[in-house]
Amino acid sequence: MDIKLENRNQFKVGIEADRHLIELRGVSKSYDVAAGKFPALKDVDMQVDAGEFVAVVGKSGSGKSTLINMITGIDTPSSGEVFVASTAVHGMDQEQLAVWRGRNVGIIFQFFQLLPTLTVAENIILPMDFCNTFPVKERRERALSLLEKVGIAEQADKLPSDLSGGQQQRAAIARALANDPPLIVADEPTGNLDSQTSDAVMQLFANLALEGKTVLMVTHERDLTRYFTRSIILSDGVIVNGSEK
Amino acid sequence: MLRDLQAARGRMAMMVIAMAVSIFGVGMILSAYTILSREMSRNYLGTNPASAFIELDRVDAALVEAVSQRPGISEAEAGSWVTARAEVNPNEWMPVFLFVVPDFNAAHVSTVNPEAGAYPPSEYTILLEREVLPMLNVKIGDALAIQTPNGSKQQILISGTVHDPALAPAWQEQTVYGYITPATLTTLGESETLHILKVVVSDQRYNIAAIDSTVSELASWLKGQGYVVDEIRIPPPGKHPHQSQMRSILMLLLVFSVMALILSAILTATMIGGLLAQQIRQIGIMKAIGARSSQITSLYLALVALLGSGAVLIGLPLGIVAGRAFAGVVAKLLNLNIYSDAVSAWVYLILLLMGILTPLLVALNPILRTTRITVRESINDYGVSLEKSASRLRDNWFSRILSFDNTLILALRNTFRRRGRLLLTLSLLSAAGAMFMTGINVKAGWQAYLDQAAADRHYDLEIRLNQPVSEEKISSVVAAISGVEKIESWNVSPAALVRTDSLDIVRTYPDGGHGSFSLRSVPLETQLIATPLLDGRWLQAGDTNAVVLNQNAKALFPTAKVGDDIQLMIEGKAATFRLVGVIRQILSPSAAYVSPAMFAEATGQPVQSVNAIRFVMKGHDAQMLASVTKEIERAFAAENIGVKVAISESLLGEAISGHVYIFIFALILISAVMAVVGALGLTSSMGTSVIERTREFGIMRAIGAKSKTILRNVISEGVFIGLMSWMIALPLSIPLTYGIGYLVGYMSFRAPLPLTVSLPGLVIWLSVIIAGSIAASAYPAQQASQLTIRETLAYI
Repeated sequence: MDIKLENRNQFKVGIEADRHLIELRGVSKSYDVAAGKFPALKDVDMQVDAGEFVAVVGKSGSGKSTLINMITGIDTPSSGEVFVASTAVHGMDQEQLAVWRGRNVGIIFQFFQLLPTLTVAENIILPMDFCNTFPVKERRERALSLLEKVGIAEQADKLPSDLSGGQQQRAAIARALANDPPLIVADEPTGNLDSQTSDAVMQLFANLALEGKTVLMVTHERDLTRYFTRSIILSDGVIVNGSEK
Repeated sequence: MLRDLQAARGRMAMMVIAMAVSIFGVGMILSAYTILSREMSRNYLGTNPASAFIELDRVDAALVEAVSQRPGISEAEAGSWVTARAEVNPNEWMPVFLFVVPDFNAAHVSTVNPEAGAYPPSEYTILLEREVLPMLNVKIGDALAIQTPNGSKQQILISGTVHDPALAPAWQEQTVYGYITPATLTTLGESETLHILKVVVSDQRYNIAAIDSTVSELASWLKGQGYVVDEIRIPPPGKHPHQSQMRSILMLLLVFSVMALILSAILTATMIGGLLAQQIRQIGIMKAIGARSSQITSLYLALVALLGSGAVLIGLPLGIVAGRAFAGVVAKLLNLNIYSDAVSAWVYLILLLMGILTPLLVALNPILRTTRITVRESINDYGVSLEKSASRLRDNWFSRILSFDNTLILALRNTFRRRGRLLLTLSLLSAAGAMFMTGINVKAGWQAYLDQAAADRHYDLEIRLNQPVSEEKISSVVAAISGVEKIESWNVSPAALVRTDSLDIVRTYPDGGHGSFSLRSVPLETQLIATPLLDGRWLQAGDTNAVVLNQNAKALFPTAKVGDDIQLMIEGKAATFRLVGVIRQILSPSAAYVSPAMFAEATGQPVQSVNAIRFVMKGHDAQMLASVTKEIERAFAAENIGVKVAISESLLGEAISGHVYIFIFALILISAVMAVVGALGLTSSMGTSVIERTREFGIMRAIGAKSKTILRNVISEGVFIGLMSWMIALPLSIPLTYGIGYLVGYMSFRAPLPLTVSLPGLVIWLSVIIAGSIAASAYPAQQASQLTIRETLAYI
């Protein structure tokens, strides 16, 4: 399936459009383990609006990653509904999800996960190649401009292994922005960085939120709370607060 | 660990299958080798082949009895042979070689085995060698029109068939082999007198010098008894006429089996490398909880031995079965019976060692290396090597040529990530490709040889006569035939090396087909053969006793140089010639060329008479040639000119092709096995690569890659590897082609095959490697594209 940019909303289900950027309704997820079923999320309801910078916090095993996976379509709920930008994420198959995700969600991982055989610029061009979002001739220019934005334009033609951790994470953020998605999801993006670099990276995310992007971030680090518009605290698969600030 | 392996049982199965295929390939080749080399000797020696065939003016029972008692002789028997012709279609003739056997039931030297129909043949009937029936498309009970040199055409009933393992197959020689009684020979118009004395020496049966010495003494004694001793034929002792052809094939099989062994070791190393790549983190975890390197090494070596044993269990029996089948096919082509298809114990031993020891040996180093890496390194292993600036130049180049598509750049660069494995995979595929192309190249070289041989013959037909006829008569008869462009006299007379005992000994078989040597007269200005000089010059007007030898004849005089005198035994007399040149004549028996005047002087045949004529026709298509040949046959018959044999270009072509067919068959079969081993190696390598990059595929899907993108990425990588191997295999095949072409050519023709690079061979392997690469990477690619992102990101 090859979807053009103007068809971005083809998965829109048409209900409550534009009300919240992210909306989870009664989402539960359980996994089969040796001892039976393990409930990772229990009947979660959640909304995030456009432009919010939201932290998802909780102890290990609380369901943070599962919640993020539901929103990005990396995993599907056992029950409940997930809407992102009015698109019913829970109703899509893997192929539809790949295209949708490429266009609508920028994902940033703790270990950066740049493809080691591509240069930094090529890594950023890759999502554009996959989703065919910008004309071929404009892709490199856009990649360079995104690198400029995250402050590592001079590293464009280096391989990821030539970059420091902080630079790699900036490159990963640039890659997440490649297709200009409305939602950025980051899974402990500062977990592998020193505090100074962490602050710089967090500032980048904050700026993105100010520009209107919705940023959802899993983190353990409580001293970063000053950057967030609110936090969602998870415990044993349940949201224990709605909008702590 | 076992549970980990159980989880990867698909890969384990593939590894066992790949090793089993290698064992299968080597097992097939080695078992065919051992069966064929044994059975060929058994077939030939089973006939109790005569050490020598002595042609006398007469051979009777008393003489046979007396010779049997002579020192050094263990057996003697009387026989006879006659060259005749069979009319297989109206005015279309084939050469016939008739063996005359006085008592079929009592025959004990150079015997034949009854196959079907009557045995012995009743009077006025003929037994045919079993391969003659399909060649002539006749059956027992049919009649065959036969004409001997002194008789008229007679219809003789085919009463049965025999198997004569001492002969090259009839279809290869394009000759009818028949077996008759002396009485039947009489009805065909020939004398009943037997003239061949077959003897078997009692000591050193396979020593040619000893045979020579014993036969020489016997010949002196025979002369002393008043017998006229003509030609003596001493075939290479204990060797089937096609032993050298077979030896070439068997040698080739051995060379390729050694290569297959090397391929197998490479394949195993590739597989084990892949297995360890998958296990690195587990090894780190085991070490982190207290396992020693030696414990882990033992575990993995035991596993490799177990997998090797599995491969042996599958590959060995199948390889032996296939080897037996292959030997059966070759034996059928060579008209041999397989009396026992037992495979020597050493073959089993080699396959066992290969299956178990080779994987252990090639695995030892990677296992030791892997188990010695630190816990931190192994746990942090992501299956990728750090790309360094050294590859920047290459990467920039890739980027430039593939600037339109980053996913292709990704695939191309991925091929270089595990350089050790890439090297192994490339070695495997390149070796397989080089062998495949070598096979096709050698076939093409052989074909080029045949084509060159055909191109060197600028005539369409040679007719040899029973008796010399005046040139004038021949010219007048031929002048009336409109399809003939021109004719030349090419007289022929058997020649032999001169010996101190003045005996006329030739190294040929009864049918004279292999190892014959003749003196030929040639018109000095002839254009009917190409005469590429290897040394000296061609014959000139004014030469008195000049001779030019072809390379096969020159090999009989290893020390002679141009300018030296050489002696030949012609018509029982020694004649001296001055060697003026050596020419290359492909696929031609040994021949010495002299001027017509010199031929007449040496043989005593009048200058203006002719016993062999070469014809050039006006048209050269097969239909035209057949029609003019029939016309010539008719005209000669009408003028009572007895034709001994008519050798047309098509007959020669078929006889030569027949000798090559089996060789090509063997080459193609071996190449196919190599291709399968190579494809399995690539599948294994791609499978490993995919497993290592599982996490990366997850990332790609997370940023928008569809299944088909990942599919294309993996397949592109496989194809890149395939193409690289093709580029390596191509130059690799050239020295290999030269080496094998030299070996095969020298054993078959005493001259290396021309170095030929077959364009179809290159294209076929290119197609095979592309198709194979796609097929080999399709399964891993399909698996990779089906993984969900959560699975891939959770993959350690």
